[in-house]
Amino acid sequence: MASTRVTRRTLLKTAAAGAAVVGFPLPLRAQAKTFKIGVIHPVTGPLAEPGQACRVGAQMAAEAINAAGGIKALGGMKLELLLGDTQTKGDVARAEAERLINAGAQMLQGPFNSGDAAAMVPVVQQRRVPFLIDIAAADPITANVAKSVREGQQKLQFVYRNFPTGSSFGRKAVQYFGEIFKEAGVSPKRIVVMHANDLFGQLQARGFVAAHKAAKPAWDIVEVIPWPEPPSDLSTEVSRAKALKPDIIAPITRPASAQLLLPELRKQRVEIMGIVGPGSPGLYEAGQLAALKEDLEYVLTSVPWPDFKNPKTRAVAEEYRKRSGGKTFDTNSGYSYDAMMLIADILERARSTDAEAIVAAMKKTDWQGQLMVSAGPVRFNELGDNPNAIPAMIQILGLRPTVVWPKESAERKFVFPRPKA
Amino acid sequence: MRWGGLAALLVLLALPAVLSSYAVTIFILIFFYAYLGQAWNIVGGYAGQLSAGHAAFVGVGGYTAAMLSNELGLTPWVGMFAGAALAAVLGGVIGYLGFRFGLRGFYFVLLTVAFAEVGRIAASNIDALGGALGLYITFTGDPRQFQFQDNRAYYYIALALLLLATGVAWAIERRRFGAYLAAIREDEGAAEALGVDTLRYKLLAMLVSSFLTGLGGTFYAFYLFSLQPNAVFGIPMSVEIILRPIVGGAGTLLGPILGSFILTPLGELSRFYFGQSGLYGAHLIAYGLLLIGVVLFLPEGAYPRLARALARRRARP
Repeated sequence: MASTRVTRRTLLKTAAAGAAVVGFPLPLRAQAKTFKIGVIHPVTGPLAEPGQACRVGAQMAAEAINAAGGIKALGGMKLELLLGDTQTKGDVARAEAERLINAGAQMLQGPFNSGDAAAMVPVVQQRRVPFLIDIAAADPITANVAKSVREGQQKLQFVYRNFPTGSSFGRKAVQYFGEIFKEAGVSPKRIVVMHANDLFGQLQARGFVAAHKAAKPAWDIVEVIPWPEPPSDLSTEVSRAKALKPDIIAPITRPASAQLLLPELRKQRVEIMGIVGPGSPGLYEAGQLAALKEDLEYVLTSVPWPDFKNPKTRAVAEEYRKRSGGKTFDTNSGYSYDAMMLIADILERARSTDAEAIVAAMKKTDWQGQLMVSAGPVRFNELGDNPNAIPAMIQILGLRPTVVWPKESAERKFVFPRPKA
Repeated sequence: MRWGGLAALLVLLALPAVLSSYAVTIFILIFFYAYLGQAWNIVGGYAGQLSAGHAAFVGVGGYTAAMLSNELGLTPWVGMFAGAALAAVLGGVIGYLGFRFGLRGFYFVLLTVAFAEVGRIAASNIDALGGALGLYITFTGDPRQFQFQDNRAYYYIALALLLLATGVAWAIERRRFGAYLAAIREDEGAAEALGVDTLRYKLLAMLVSSFLTGLGGTFYAFYLFSLQPNAVFGIPMSVEIILRPIVGGAGTLLGPILGSFILTPLGELSRFYFGQSGLYGAHLIAYGLLLIGVVLFLPEGAYPRLARALARRRARP
């Protein structure tokens, strides 16, 4: 019966460890030496790659803040990150938020996926922990909290976001299309939207079409052509698009489908002014550039992007490249980096680690230190969103993603219509 | 046994008073997934009809209650029963198609998966349901809207749901209905030859199971405040539901509960110990290895083994 005894002991040990993890209430500390921030992203699961980029971005920013002497207004207090993983599951996101707050997190940052953000909202509202969303686009996340505060069901809003909202993506893309056409002195009429028919592709396509309808520009969306993602072949979709005699192809791709779509457009010799995407992965990543080469040249796409005109961005991007094994500093690492820097600014102004003081400072934010392309300083509106967080129009020029619009952030002037081959 | 159960219940009722909010969250997840597992257990365990699409019922239940609340202002306390009834209708359709046409084993599994996938794709494409972005629920903390400022309220509701499903399973087990289901599971041909109306009882089990699972959908929606088609209708959710009864012992009353008390803390502990390291996913590997171990060494589930060990100990002088 020795085995039973061992099992029982192991069981007891496990139970004790479990109790140690979950059971003990945190002792109240008079004065913490560090300011603890729970950083929660999907570092495993289907969104692991962008989630990991986010985590590294936040870590790099925190290290930079600490190396520069911590939070000066709080006597040089250092930031300490408590790391969480949502696995892109709402229940795990909620449990992770609880766990990190239990471990002493005084603020939360994250979580990339909108559903996970929604699951974390009640936790931070209940436990009164300020939560800065670095990435998550669904409009209702902040709007719903603002609504329940307005209607008196919640006292204070603890949820703020520094990222373009879902509805603004389509709106901005339509606006950029028009501005670029005007600046180039051309008037394309017929635009064909081609998109991956998965969650992201549908969302992006619908947002773009809805924004087009609302803005009523001079150009028409003559057809929307979806493909099942991942596709095995796109020749029929491309010939369908070609038959519509488009001036512009507006693709919403995934990396795998972009690798089929772009060569197919070349092979079928579709005569267009250019390929202009409303925003999607697959058109600018380092791996895609290596695989698609010339097929990506002159492709334009709207995406939140770092402002490489800023020398600081270039320095951080170089460090990020080293730290991540050659990856590009992009939307995900960039917005997470900005969020951590923004937290430091908020703490400097709050001059206190008290949650309400932090929220008060958050509301008064007027911060210009972003590395991402933006329309102005970070300022939170009545919903808790920053309307100055915008995507940029980037173009692949010399096989490098280059910001070409808005004009103020442009590294170079765009090339449109693209030169005839 | 009875006194043991009562004592355990009293402990569970008193626990939130001393637990941290994080520990309460873990218990909520234990109870909730045990509840879904128990609901599945009725058709998947007792009747032995392997449904791998129970996520569909969570989705239908959750979406119905959330839509009724968002659009018509109907309290989810009522909406949850509307959602459960709709889930039961869907369960009836799936059950009738599967059982009437004699789909067994893998064919029935595929049928259930197909329905869940249809649900997922439908929900992603219907704009009124929020499309692929999903449905978001405003957090107000108002108990009339099935929302609570205090985590402990969710704890008691999840516990009540678990007790409800376990009570239903217990009642079925004790009645002739339960014996019929066991007969169908063990040898359907023989059961039929003995005059058991197998179609009727399998269908009944499916209706009860899908109703209860649909009820759980409302809890999911108003605990996590958003519904995404991929999360609630997806295959991972179906697997999550099945895992607990399989690990704990399918077709036993305490199996799903034991399975949940093993799996949920296991997931949390492995994340706690391995999640902080730079090795992304180490915690999932650890969790997976432990899971393989459980299935390898306890193939019929943890509960039957535990019950035998207890019986042996009692038999000893």
